[in-house]
Amino acid sequence: MKDLKLVSIAGLIALLSTLFLAPILTSFTVHAADKAERNTVATLRDHTEIDSQKEPNPIPKVINNDIKKARNYPMQPPVIPHTIRSYEVNKYNNKCMSCHSRHRTEKSQAPMVSVTHFMNRDGNFLAEISPRRYFCNQCHVTQLDAEPLVENTFIDMHSLMKQKTANTTEH
Amino acid sequence: MSINRREFIKANAVAAAAAVAGVSVPAIASNLITSSDITKLKWDKAPCRFCGTGCSVNVGVMDGKVVATHGDIKSPVNKGLNCVKGYFLSKIMYGKDRLTTPLLRMTNGKYDKEGEFTPISWDQAFDIMAEKAKETLKKSGPTAVGMFGSGQWTVQEGYAAVKLYKAGFRSNNIDPNARHCMASAVGGFMRTFGIDEPMGCYDDLEAADAFVLWGSNMAEMHPILWTRLTDRRLSAPHVKVAVLSTFEHRSFDLADNGMIFTPQTDLAILNYIAHYIISTGRVNKDFVNKHTNFRLGETDIGYGLRPEHPLEQKAKNNGKSKGSSTPIDFDEYAKFVSTYTVEYTSKLSGVPEHKLEALAELYADPKIKVTSFWTMGFNQHTRGVWANNLVYNIHLLTGKISTPGNSPFSLTGQPSACGTAREVGTFSHRLPADMVVTNPKHRAIAEKIWDLPEGTIPAKPGYHAVLQNRMLKDGKLNFYWVQCNNNMQAAANINEEAYPGYRNPKNFIVVSDPYPTVTAQAADLILPTAMWVEKEGVYGNAERRTQSWYQMVEAPTGAKSDLWQLVEFSKRFAIEDVWPEELIAKKPEVRGKTLYDVLFQNPSVAKFSLDEIPDERLNDESRDFGFYIQKGLFEEYASFGRGHAHDLAPYDRYHKERGLRWPVVNGKETKWRFKEGSDPYVKPGSGWDFYGHKDGRAIIFALPYEPPAESPDEEYDLWLSTGRVLEHWHSGSMTQRVPELYKAMPDALVYMHPDDAKSRGMRRGDLVKLISRRGEVQTRVETRGRNKPPVGLVYMPWFDASRLVNKVTLDATDPLSKQTDYKKCAIKIVKV
Amino acid sequence: MTQSSNSQTSEYHVASLIASCILAQVDEVKAAILAVDDTEIHVTSAEGKIVFTIEGTSHKDIGKKMDILRVHTGILNLSPVYHQVLDESVDDDATKQ
Repeated sequence: MKDLKLVSIAGLIALLSTLFLAPILTSFTVHAADKAERNTVATLRDHTEIDSQKEPNPIPKVINNDIKKARNYPMQPPVIPHTIRSYEVNKYNNKCMSCHSRHRTEKSQAPMVSVTHFMNRDGNFLAEISPRRYFCNQCHVTQLDAEPLVENTFIDMHSLMKQKTANTTEH
Repeated sequence: MSINRREFIKANAVAAAAAVAGVSVPAIASNLITSSDITKLKWDKAPCRFCGTGCSVNVGVMDGKVVATHGDIKSPVNKGLNCVKGYFLSKIMYGKDRLTTPLLRMTNGKYDKEGEFTPISWDQAFDIMAEKAKETLKKSGPTAVGMFGSGQWTVQEGYAAVKLYKAGFRSNNIDPNARHCMASAVGGFMRTFGIDEPMGCYDDLEAADAFVLWGSNMAEMHPILWTRLTDRRLSAPHVKVAVLSTFEHRSFDLADNGMIFTPQTDLAILNYIAHYIISTGRVNKDFVNKHTNFRLGETDIGYGLRPEHPLEQKAKNNGKSKGSSTPIDFDEYAKFVSTYTVEYTSKLSGVPEHKLEALAELYADPKIKVTSFWTMGFNQHTRGVWANNLVYNIHLLTGKISTPGNSPFSLTGQPSACGTAREVGTFSHRLPADMVVTNPKHRAIAEKIWDLPEGTIPAKPGYHAVLQNRMLKDGKLNFYWVQCNNNMQAAANINEEAYPGYRNPKNFIVVSDPYPTVTAQAADLILPTAMWVEKEGVYGNAERRTQSWYQMVEAPTGAKSDLWQLVEFSKRFAIEDVWPEELIAKKPEVRGKTLYDVLFQNPSVAKFSLDEIPDERLNDESRDFGFYIQKGLFEEYASFGRGHAHDLAPYDRYHKERGLRWPVVNGKETKWRFKEGSDPYVKPGSGWDFYGHKDGRAIIFALPYEPPAESPDEEYDLWLSTGRVLEHWHSGSMTQRVPELYKAMPDALVYMHPDDAKSRGMRRGDLVKLISRRGEVQTRVETRGRNKPPVGLVYMPWFDASRLVNKVTLDATDPLSKQTDYKKCAIKIVKV
Repeated sequence: MTQSSNSQTSEYHVASLIASCILAQVDEVKAAILAVDDTEIHVTSAEGKIVFTIEGTSHKDIGKKMDILRVHTGILNLSPVYHQVLDESVDDDATKQ
């Protein structure tokens, strides 16, 4: 414990920010190092030769914090921020709707399914969820606590607009 | 300038509704969307990049980037819906490791098979490619050059590749990855009907009273068709759903009759149903008499393994006669299937008798309109063509075919397995419009359309997919180009065949891909490739729907489309480099010309000028070559099928439509083929006309149950089935780079029955090794996932580049279709 | 139903809809739409399709406003087309005027 006092405040901040950024940077620093040495292209294989294999990592846990994730664009189905282990969705039961259906959201405080889900194939409005939307897991998926192997450089339209707005105001 | 974000999204909402209502976008929306540079968002249609369903999506582009995608409400296929993969299409092009420069294995500035990947220019890349190709042609002739293509190529790309190889290099060693996917379906169609592709269409989904899934997990692999099936099942309570598989999966969630059968016994179940129909007196005699013939097929045909394999040594009829058959009559057929009693079939398959009877009744009851769906369970099967033939049998015996809801329906895996691989004929034995290289008349037709001297196209079929890997290993195929697929991850038995084949010092391997895949890793030269809406193209889906799209964004600098690569590469070859003197002598005007001049820059392909491309449209290939190449290739290709029951509409029309189902005759698409009233090719007064065969009759085949190539034994005591998952497209080279999809399904686990895990001292999450006679792979145990295998069988998907399950699988194929059986081999599992 | 659950959100919802009307009653329907809070009519087609938006603060709010209209006798069919939520508590700078 005493050792801690020796660490300067600036050092602490540096340490904290490293810890904070670590998950994002790890994969890339590893890649960069490997690349310099071996110039490999095996980005999804952790730079492993085809005739060998690295030890598979443990099965990641489902993220279960109930914190809504921002969407990339308006029509993207939201991901599920909680575990759905042993949720039954079959022709008798739809466990998801026991919280997300319109008449349950008051009690559950879960988001109600979007109004588009009440539309049938011909665009008519139904009183209940359309059967074509019945199997929620065709579009909505949970997220496991796994660090992506490769970064994605997609930019959403609002960030693009913001960038441009910033640029125009500078001139 | 600042943006009111609320108004922006409101304008989007208005634009969407206006589009649906079919009214022009009101000023408020159009002003907001188009008047300001900052909010400029351009929407355009494209078919989805993934599966064979062929959904249409709207793609939103801003500043040269795709920023949004959503289901196209105007598309009859998906009516505004997408699956989770489709909803994330916007991100597939933006993985950080996109390739932007050719990479060649080099040491000290020179090509070296054992060297490190080194960036080079496109010019250098084509230099070494041309050098290696010419060297190979000179030394070993056209059979030593080859290409592995794709059911994800655009129609134009597949067509250009066929021309370059079959006409240019005079090699039939070109095959698509659709060989792994649809070859058995093709074989089934050609054998039963004499013409490829489904007679029905997706409209069957809203018309059927019963659905039977034969080895198809539609809930994950054709999600949007599954939403339509679900819609039908839940909206019309009388509708029944039967699901057959070797393990329980998501499609069982909707099943009224779910059946787990022992691998390979689907053949027996199909014959049992035929027997049930006959023995309960429900044969549609009028239909059978007028529209069918009966034939007895050859048996004991082997397993498509290497000839020295003991199973091939043992097989009696794995030679030329394997596809042959002899005519029989109805009584002989009835006698043939009569051994498939419910008792025998139940015992063999493990399916309870009452479930088999309930299934058979769906087909037998004349009042029930039944649609059968199948995908890889039938096709990836050492008797895949038989399985296809047998399911047609039961539809033909009852006359339940080619009318709304009565439909034996082969579902395609890839977005253009039908459009490109099958219709264009990118297989080693095929030519466009169902023609084959072995038929001299067919070769003559192709040579005429392509304006080639007689005898240009070789008559002998080339190496099919599995044979290509074997020939690479044996050093007989030495120049090899792979485009638009990831076969080092996808091919079976990569340890013994593909990997040693690619790394064989005699061979030069080129891989074109947007991303560094496992296949690229095994290559000698990697070419960075443009993808999806970075180019213009056409796809053809599982219901014969042809759909086109425009290029919407620029590819990353340095990346070029497969089409550009194929055509540009053709400039490197003088005719004298590739054709013998006696062939050139038959058409002296080609002397001194390049392959580019003869195959592409000619009066047929180059006849549409750049003026036909709207000014505001991107089209990198056309503007580079100086003519509207996609239209030229499409129109020339379409001339093969017009007037021959494969009619396509004029190219420009596809830019306006959400696709059209061929044959398109007098501007009208065809929904149900072979039926009078809905198919213009049917002879008037015939009712049904299976015009693929000269006598207009479909064939009912007597074919038995035969055992699989490899079954569990004492040492290798488990069945292994591989397959796909909802969240990833095939080998995951696109979807593993989308964070949301990666995090939804990051790793390929082995799905096991809890009792199987327990008896081996394993628990969920344990690190284990799957071992076969061919190789091993490590992964973790999953005992409570979405797939619930029975005791004795495990399932491991193949999307995971870091856990290559195809090191373990067996490269046994259907001897007729040459398609690999990925669904059954014997393994053991041990704890690490 | 209580009103309390609506008040705590900082969400902005917008839904666009198409009302297909009996031609003779288009004007009546238009009036009924505008009588509902936070609605706006953007375009009306010759066949009697009205494209309009509803804005609100929650899913329920939008749903309720739709319910008011759904029963109108002049409307043959009411189809929601598009629905987007803007969570303004997390991302504020884009909305600055």
